[in-house]
Amino acid sequence: MMNPQSKSTALSVDLNNFIYGVSKRNAQNAPELTRTGLNLLKNFPAARDAVLEYFAMVFHDAVTVSISQTDYEADLGANGALESVSIIGPELCNLGQSWAPFIAPWCINLIMDIATKKANVPNTTLQNADPVRILLDITTQNLTLLNSEERAKCIDMMLGSWACSWAVGWVGRAEPALVAPRALQLGADAARAVLAHLAHHPPATHHVRVAVLDLFHEALREDSKPEKKRDVIPYLLNLASKSDIVLKALTQDIEQTLTDEVMERLCAVCASQRNTVMWAEVTPASLVALLLRADVRCLLLLLRHALSNLFCRQLLEYLLQKLEFECLFPDRNIPMLTSAAEEINIVRDKLLDGNQLEKYSLARILILVSYNLPSEFVSTISYLLQYSRDDSTLALLVRIISGTITMHVPSDSPDISMDTERYQNFVKTGVEYALRDAMLSDNEIKMCFLDGSVPEDQKTYLHHFCLNIIKLLRWENSNRVPHLRTRPIGRAVEANLYRIGGALQEYTSLLRIRKEGTMAYLDEMPTCHALAEVLDRVDMTGTKAPPPSVEVILKVVQATVKYFFRCLHLKETMEKLRGVATACRLLRKLCVQSKLARAAALRELLETAMLRDDAAFGSRPLQPYHAPSQHDLLMHLNQKHGPITQLTQSHTSVFHAGIIGKGVRKPNGSDYNDIPPILTTNNELLMGALTSCMVSDGNSGLVEGATSVSLLLVELVSPDVMYNGLPWPDEDFTKQVSIERELYMRGALENCAVARAALRRAAAARPALCLASALLRATAATLLHRLRAYLDRHTQSAEMAKERAALTELLSTMTLGQLLPHPLSHMLELAPELTASEIVQVLRDCLWNYTRDHVPSPALFTCDSTGLHWRDPSTCKPPATYTDTLRLIIQKRISKLGHLYPIMFLNLEKENN
Amino acid sequence: MSVSDLKHSLRKYEFPACAKEALNRIEQLLVGRAAPSNKQLDIAMDIISEFVFCESDRRSGRRGGGLTPLQDLQLIDIICDYLSACTNETTKNTVFLSLFGGMESQRRLKILSILASMAVSASSTPVLLAVGVWLQQMGCSSSQSLQLVENVIRDHFYLNTSNQLALKSLANTAPQFVSNFITAVTELYMHDAQGTNDNKLPPKNLLEVITAWVYSNPTLCMSAQLNPAALPSGSIPMAAVTPLAGLIHWCALAPLYIDDDTEMVEVAVPFKKIKLEGENDRSLIKTVTSKPLTESEFYIKLHLGVLHSLRAGRRTHGPPTAVNAQHLAALAPVVQSYAHNVLKRGGKIQNDPKLQDCLDRIGQSVQVALANGCVYGNISNLLAALDTLPENRLLRIIIKTHQQTM
Repeated sequence: MMNPQSKSTALSVDLNNFIYGVSKRNAQNAPELTRTGLNLLKNFPAARDAVLEYFAMVFHDAVTVSISQTDYEADLGANGALESVSIIGPELCNLGQSWAPFIAPWCINLIMDIATKKANVPNTTLQNADPVRILLDITTQNLTLLNSEERAKCIDMMLGSWACSWAVGWVGRAEPALVAPRALQLGADAARAVLAHLAHHPPATHHVRVAVLDLFHEALREDSKPEKKRDVIPYLLNLASKSDIVLKALTQDIEQTLTDEVMERLCAVCASQRNTVMWAEVTPASLVALLLRADVRCLLLLLRHALSNLFCRQLLEYLLQKLEFECLFPDRNIPMLTSAAEEINIVRDKLLDGNQLEKYSLARILILVSYNLPSEFVSTISYLLQYSRDDSTLALLVRIISGTITMHVPSDSPDISMDTERYQNFVKTGVEYALRDAMLSDNEIKMCFLDGSVPEDQKTYLHHFCLNIIKLLRWENSNRVPHLRTRPIGRAVEANLYRIGGALQEYTSLLRIRKEGTMAYLDEMPTCHALAEVLDRVDMTGTKAPPPSVEVILKVVQATVKYFFRCLHLKETMEKLRGVATACRLLRKLCVQSKLARAAALRELLETAMLRDDAAFGSRPLQPYHAPSQHDLLMHLNQKHGPITQLTQSHTSVFHAGIIGKGVRKPNGSDYNDIPPILTTNNELLMGALTSCMVSDGNSGLVEGATSVSLLLVELVSPDVMYNGLPWPDEDFTKQVSIERELYMRGALENCAVARAALRRAAAARPALCLASALLRATAATLLHRLRAYLDRHTQSAEMAKERAALTELLSTMTLGQLLPHPLSHMLELAPELTASEIVQVLRDCLWNYTRDHVPSPALFTCDSTGLHWRDPSTCKPPATYTDTLRLIIQKRISKLGHLYPIMFLNLEKENN
Repeated sequence: MSVSDLKHSLRKYEFPACAKEALNRIEQLLVGRAAPSNKQLDIAMDIISEFVFCESDRRSGRRGGGLTPLQDLQLIDIICDYLSACTNETTKNTVFLSLFGGMESQRRLKILSILASMAVSASSTPVLLAVGVWLQQMGCSSSQSLQLVENVIRDHFYLNTSNQLALKSLANTAPQFVSNFITAVTELYMHDAQGTNDNKLPPKNLLEVITAWVYSNPTLCMSAQLNPAALPSGSIPMAAVTPLAGLIHWCALAPLYIDDDTEMVEVAVPFKKIKLEGENDRSLIKTVTSKPLTESEFYIKLHLGVLHSLRAGRRTHGPPTAVNAQHLAALAPVVQSYAHNVLKRGGKIQNDPKLQDCLDRIGQSVQVALANGCVYGNISNLLAALDTLPENRLLRIIIKTHQQTM
């Protein structure tokens, strides 16, 4: 039966090679031997102990090599061990399930061996060594192949070794559910190490959390033996103080962990166990140290319980003081504050709706957060400005602002100004954001609009924002709030004038888009009033701060003018007057400093009043065009004008027989004939506004303003450049050249109450009227011609009355403007008594010719010591040529007009004598 | 040569060499005379302990805790070398039994296990034969034997599953070992439980190899008995127990324990291969022909092999030695308890295919065994025990026939 074997090696060449290779083991033959060993492992499973022992040696060598290896140029021998390890790795990973019970314990023993031997090497170096990585991979791979009981045994084996907690952590990633609860059975230090390593693996954190919470709930359970669990809570706290991951596990979703029932039970447990030895470590100081590292939700929970629980209240105060103290160190990173910054929305919400204690505590937290994170400072300001609805919250805002600015800054610090400047910038940005966000919020669709539950006094967000700002400004201006002494809010608003002006402009705009279901759909006037009040309350004069820039001024002026006109249209008288008064105040404030503002304001006001909003003042638009019927061809229209040369404005001509293209004028158009009255409320309000723009110290502002008004009137009534100058030409010239134009200008002026009223104001502010000379000339020229025409027809119609009224107005204006010196000024009184022909005479000889020869120019007016411009009557007596006509007429009708004669001529002569 | 001289000379060598040398000295001590004296035996044991297994160490410089796994391996290599080089069967068995014959040392048993396993791996006939003799002398159902067999099974049927062909050829090269091995294996599986489900079934690949052994070699089961071991003079040979009774147990109980449903799952679905042109037909045929047998099919085949072996177990002279009647009768309570369970579940014994299958196989085995005169022991007791089994036609006839001939 015996099978004769010639070879002395009974088993195999491999085995012999391996045995004798190992006994003469050196670095060079390691890969070779490793391959042999792997073959043996497959074919001679019984040799596994020996092979694995050899592999363990290889691993030891490789670890030594790789941690001592400083660079990558390594000698061949070193590579041998590393190479072998890299051969072993995949092979052992892939041996399969039946091998796992042998491989896994071997790995674990090897890890423990290595860890113990290399205990002096830093953990990270060791962990990052390639061989260790490979070994850990093998371990993990094989652990997963084991059944749960064997696996638990292996993990227990590892946990028993103090040196390789990192390995447990690493390997435990495959089995966090097994490792985590076991780790918690260890001492706090060991558990910390294991869990810390476990935490590098994100999915494991869940298991850690489950394990920790299980332990916690177990400790609280009522039925079990209390003395056994006495140490659990102190242990957990102690562990948490050492391990971030445990702390995180405990504090994550803390509201769900510490429900009210749990709290109740916890209090009971604390009360019964507090006096034991383990609990001695649970001091407020240690709890506060924990809380510093916890997240802000813990703080909120603490706040919730603080009202009812004295200990919580003390803890809270302790915590806050500790936080404030810790913030003294600039580079200290406090997780609680970081978390508060991350969850700042919750904190702010709570600040709005919490109870008193919560509010004050959170304000302190927010100060700390704001101090560390300027961006949160800005957003907090913005948030509170938008959503604060009562004084106490605003007071908290003031506290936060001043607290943040003055925190840790000793009053004698040299860089205090620089720092406050920086913070002032933040406040400014905060206001800016609040404004922007409020306007954006106004355009968002809100639930209350959709379900129709809009409260009666629903205000827009912008309105709320303004109310808050106004309140703060009032506090600031009262000078009784020491925190606001530096005017942070006022300066911030002043820095944001452009945007606030823009907001006012947008809200007053009639073309504003008003989406349904949004705040913008509400009536905008309350918001506009609030915005105007904000503008009204800040300083724009540049006395307390640098004066606003040009574009800011222009923006605010435009907005204010718009606001003014919106107010004019209000039905409610008080509201209207109040709004107008605000607008006027604003205009005055703006114009008193800046000529630019004045010019802009006057132009805006007049333009709007005359061109766009004229209906409000009773003005009628001049009907420059008759609407051509649709069938009219341009060719036919042209034929209607006749062969004569077209003059300026001739298509509107009302001269002679009628309107060209329309035929003879209907005499019964009563409305057409009425001259709109000057004395209306709106007109007066507008004049008030105009006057507001002209205020300055002394008379100069008025004169300058009125001059601008005059120029503007000329420009607006007659945009032409030609013939708008001061001189009055020969009367004949007008007849031949410019009569159509004069007629248009007169019509335009006459129909526009605003223009006439403004002209009167200009007349009062001498010598401003001179610059409106073109308008006066137009009226005078048309009067001359029309009266002459009526004279021809002997009419005493309504039209005649109108002409007389116009004459009266012209004369009174010119007299007021001192363009007609004594005795010409008395034409006003004389005029009603004169016949048409007499008027024509007087107008031509006394008015036209005098003005033609004495061009009304500001140069005629001298400025006296009080700054008043006026024409000295004694030096500007008109020569006899201009007064003789008057004298003759009075003499001729001495019976009726005699009482004027001495006034007009006798005094004059007396003076002459 | 005195003891101290002997030891002194051995101490000149370092570990692997000293073991080698020691083996030669032991051979000199134990072999060649009529029987070694007690003193010589003591010296031999002393040397074995100190120089071969390094258990007791009186010298400095070597650790006393025994050998490391690597040294174990060296030692095993040396022993293998020695055994392979040994030309005299008696000498070989003498030295082997003195090395491993002691019952007390777990360490030696471990080394022996490794040695046996490695011999199986390498198909080293001399070593395997020696191990076969050891198994027989220790008794196949002794705890040491079972431990060794378990180790071998783990190594070759769990850890290394790629050497089935080499294993199958062992039946030809070392039948005595195989026969004793199977006897021990039948002690390990389907033995302890009383028809409960946590009964341990042999792994499929082990079953496959045993089936192949038995089926292809009808004389295998008797080979340990047919080839008495060459034992040292003066020792008492132990009777070899054939694996037949154990295998009859397996085959008879297999229908009761194997769940047909799980069988279905085990049938490997042929891999979906990427079809290459022209390869279709061949791969199809291949998958059909290479479809592995299911476990119950293996048992059927094994049953047939056992029946063949029983027929080969007929002895022309001398009393029957193949199967112990008492051993067969031990089947009765297991089957009865199963039948009891069937009744309890409300089934009918006549209609239970598994039970009937089992009874049929018992009947066939008993009939073939009795007919070939392979059964020793109390046959009437066996028949009486079979009589208590549930109703089965074949069994009834067999019992009746044999009770009449008694």
